Amino acid sequence: MSHHISTLPTLLSVAGALLVLTFLTVAVTWINIPEPFNVIVAITIAVVKAAAVAMFFMNLYWDSKFNSVVFLLSILFLTIFVVITLLDTLFREGGLPVY
Amino acid sequence: MANQSVATEKKSHLQHHFVDEDQQFESSKMGMWIFLVTEVLMFGGLFVAYIIYRAWHPDLFYEAAQELDVALGATNTVVLIASSLTIALAIRAVQLDKIKAAINYMAATILLAGTFMVIKYFEYMDKFGKGIYPGESYTYDGLEHEMAANFFSIYYMMTGLHGIHVIIGMVLIGWMIIKAKKGLVHSGYYTPVENTGLFWHLVDIIWIFLFPLLYLID
Repeated sequence: MSHHISTLPTLLSVAGALLVLTFLTVAVTWINIPEPFNVIVAITIAVVKAAAVAMFFMNLYWDSKFNSVVFLLSILFLTIFVVITLLDTLFREGGLPVY
Repeated sequence: MANQSVATEKKSHLQHHFVDEDQQFESSKMGMWIFLVTEVLMFGGLFVAYIIYRAWHPDLFYEAAQELDVALGATNTVVLIASSLTIALAIRAVQLDKIKAAINYMAATILLAGTFMVIKYFEYMDKFGKGIYPGESYTYDGLEHEMAANFFSIYYMMTGLHGIHVIIGMVLIGWMIIKAKKGLVHSGYYTPVENTGLFWHLVDIIWIFLFPLLYLID
């Protein structure tokens, strides 16, 4: 058996980092960051938090790399889903009046 | 003799179509990851709806998000992060054969998940009290925007589907506690606890995105 057993310091510091980032994501709304950048900052912090959870709580960092590939593929296909849909909805004249 | 009986006991979970315990563990875990991919894509549909509506009506999202309580949302984020930590500690405890500690950590996880749901319940009740229902039942007149109901339909669908996952997670962790009490999981075989942990962390990851996207629009 060569399973990775996370050490207590690792788990506690990842949880600590997540709490700090949660505070940060709320704190950045107190200063007014101009339009597109506030969303970018919020999403960047969320991505960092999600990556920390996936790597150190879900053990992807120590796992077979295939599992990371599988997970990243879901992000890739979600991105394709978003981009192709936006290519339609963003360029409609006047949007859809009903919605 | 004694050695042999230990070996048979540890091998008892091995299905005949796997080479060894490690291969069985890795296969099961890969299967769980593939399931998590389908979960990401299911929530993905809702995220796409969110992105399209926000692109169409940025002013609506700004206005409507003021109705959500940032303090409650932030508290729930902290609660879920704590529950992710406790389930990770539970897995570590099982790996080290500290079954009693593992049971306690899993019970703590269920307690935190329950806290999350109670806070969510009060948030929903506050909205319902104002007439903020999803879809056509929406009767709140505190928002100017004519599409206001759409924001809350998206809000209820995203947080509702997430809430259902929290409840499923609580049931799964409860099942793992029963397994642990029966002595069915230990350092040699803890695949179900590991996979339940993966599910629970994914629920946490989804909330990590929901919180800033719904509550923190400034």
